Amino acid sequence: MRIRVNLTMRNEAKMMKRLLTLLVALMLAGPVAAQNGPLRLTITDGVIEPITFAAPTFQAENAEATQVANDLNRLVAQDLSGTGLFREIPANAFISQVSSFSQPVQFADWRAINAQALVVGAVAMNGGQLTVKFRLYDVFSGQELGGGLQFAGTTAGWRRMGHKVADAVYSRVTGEGGYFDSRVVYVAESGPKDNRQMRLAIMDFDGANVQYLTDSSTIVLAPRFSPNGDRVLYTSFESGFPRINVLNVANVGRQQLQTAPGEMAFSPRFSRDGGSVIYSLSNGGNTDIFRSDLSTGQYTRLTSAPSIETAPSLSPDGSQIVFESDRSGTQQLYIMSANGGEARRISFGEGRYGTPVWSPRGDLVAFTKQHAGRFHIGVMRTDGSEERLLTASFLDEGPTWSPNGRVIMFSRETQGESGTTSLYSVDISGRNLKAVPVQGGASDPSWGPLQP
Amino acid sequence: MQTPGTYISATGHIVLIGWLILGWGLDSEPLEFEAMDVSVVSGEEFEQMMAARTPTPGNAEPTAPAQPIIDDTPPPPPAEEQPAETAPPPEPVDQPVEELPPPPPPAPLVTEATDEPPIAPEVPAAAPSSPNVDVNEPPAPTQADRIASTPSAPPPPDTQIDDIVREEVVPDETAPAEVVTEEVTPTAPEETAPEIALENEKPSGLVETSLRPVARPSRPTPPAAEPDAPTQTAETPVEAPTPPANEASDDAVAAALAAALAAEAPSAPAVAAGPPMTGSERDSFRVSVNRCWNVDPGSVAARVTVEVGFELDRNGLVVGQPRLISAQGDQSAADTAFEAARRAILRCQSGGYQLPADKYDQWKDVVITFDPSGMRLR
Repeated sequence: MRIRVNLTMRNEAKMMKRLLTLLVALMLAGPVAAQNGPLRLTITDGVIEPITFAAPTFQAENAEATQVANDLNRLVAQDLSGTGLFREIPANAFISQVSSFSQPVQFADWRAINAQALVVGAVAMNGGQLTVKFRLYDVFSGQELGGGLQFAGTTAGWRRMGHKVADAVYSRVTGEGGYFDSRVVYVAESGPKDNRQMRLAIMDFDGANVQYLTDSSTIVLAPRFSPNGDRVLYTSFESGFPRINVLNVANVGRQQLQTAPGEMAFSPRFSRDGGSVIYSLSNGGNTDIFRSDLSTGQYTRLTSAPSIETAPSLSPDGSQIVFESDRSGTQQLYIMSANGGEARRISFGEGRYGTPVWSPRGDLVAFTKQHAGRFHIGVMRTDGSEERLLTASFLDEGPTWSPNGRVIMFSRETQGESGTTSLYSVDISGRNLKAVPVQGGASDPSWGPLQP
Repeated sequence: MQTPGTYISATGHIVLIGWLILGWGLDSEPLEFEAMDVSVVSGEEFEQMMAARTPTPGNAEPTAPAQPIIDDTPPPPPAEEQPAETAPPPEPVDQPVEELPPPPPPAPLVTEATDEPPIAPEVPAAAPSSPNVDVNEPPAPTQADRIASTPSAPPPPDTQIDDIVREEVVPDETAPAEVVTEEVTPTAPEETAPEIALENEKPSGLVETSLRPVARPSRPTPPAAEPDAPTQTAETPVEAPTPPANEASDDAVAAALAAALAAEAPSAPAVAAGPPMTGSERDSFRVSVNRCWNVDPGSVAARVTVEVGFELDRNGLVVGQPRLISAQGDQSAADTAFEAARRAILRCQSGGYQLPADKYDQWKDVVITFDPSGMRLR
């Protein structure tokens, strides 16, 4: 027994020594072999700057299209630069020109001026028919990004085609949907603060093509687009009390929404399928959130608290509602299921939170915050974390999201008796705060969907 | 039957009980108690007294304008007055007073001490702190188009934007004809800010969020694959101490040793690729690529981490196209993130990356991981 044990131990010791030698040998061989592998680096620190692009003049395929071609070119460049994510390289810096749409591109010339994207287009006009085609090139890799695209339409709708070209370029470079071919409905204001004339108006997102939808005989507030952009809900004081009207954009016909019985109805929004409306109804001093079906007129009560619940907004999948309530003593934001039920508070900062709007991407909620005498427009995640304030001023309120959830438009009022209200837009990263060029005063914007 | 015992017992009982009743030698003081003298007043008299006692408006004011004076008064007077004031308040409670008991204790303090209410010492601490908030406020960040971690000032007005700084050089007329200096247009880097400048808000002075500490740059991953495999195979033979297994593993170990030694030999000539790349060489390569890596913090592509591989020739120029090796995170934006990374690699080569030529074998294949997670909220 003893002898056997000794033998075992001696064998083990020998084996251990052999194994150690083997290990050492392999470890020496290991790094030497790996030095022939690729060099690995990790980069976590980049820069945030606009992508430079060049948009040489669009080629006009017949003489009468020259003017439209230039206008389209400028519109596309303006749309892209206006996002703050792109920067145009002016034409006087170009080294070579693009003379023909189908000509191969000399990428070295465009690399020399540091253009990262190149937009080449051609326009043809036949009577009232307009045809626009474009190609997008990634200059530094020398390849085309996506395929060429062609749009056909009427000459009168050239702005929409220009916006569609800009949308395509934007989405191919950034990977998100565009938002240029969309419209905004708002309240056009004129007159002094104590005698404002208010009418509903609709315009392109960049302030062009303004059309009026109502006259200024009564106060109108907070218009809201339907998900497919054919109808607008708004609050009107026609009957002396605030009631909700549904307006058809195409024929400007309107009717009053049949709500639950109550004194005042306001703050309406469409559901995601456009078949029902959620709104706030005030009865005997208490305000709660209701839902009405548009076709049957049936209504459901969604909250029943003694506090004021208002400004409901549905999530993109229609399963939850974010709203403003003062049940905690000050106005704060709450989220509940779309069928009513228990509400969960999501805003916990200092100040009062109101007018929540759920982003079309579903990840953020935009809101108005009042604190220390100033108003802010901010965004937070749907669980209340990562709150960021994007603006600060005397009076900012009423945020509305662009169709791709990237830009927020809101109204800003200036102080004083002669103060005016205007529309501003800001990117969700806080950059690129700029005014929307609208003539006259404007407030309560609602950004519609991308047009088909 | 009246025995003598009965007489003794009766006598003893009577004595004891009589002594207890009379209480000789059993005196004790009663417990101390306070007696309060109360006088009864009618309702009208009470009203008159309350009207007479209401403080005049002049008495309520002194707390406000007295606060600036507090800064000048030295601390000893408040300390001295406090013990003097603690004596009077208990007394009014005991004395027979005409007012209704008890008068609220703060009342004598207010009327007697016009400039030292007990809460005063806290006010001078609060007042100087508000001007300090403005002094310590960080300067508002400048609005700039380009955001990068190394800020740079706006370039002088007549310079063009370029990466390196060049002074303006004008040919010198007084120089001899043989020396020809080229005219060089002045260039300077573009204005860069370290963070996105949000619209100016008055800071509350409170720390609202705590900044995540900047992570250490990751070390190059050491090749740990090969030693792991042999340690695992080595452990299993050690756990089997039976003699037949020993002999078999001995042979296996010998064979493995021979194989390892043989493998070392062919890799020996490759060791002449030079010493490993130094940290500063890797850093300068990394900096030269990340200058062109454009991250869009609001887009979905800012949540994707991509690994891109490419090859370089001896001049530091990229051979072929960079290829996507892997993408982690939101897959819908993987293509966009890859294209941004590819643009970064191709834009910044501008004549070739500056890398040591004698270590070419080490950097001819490169894999870079682009991780934008730290940039999302900039």
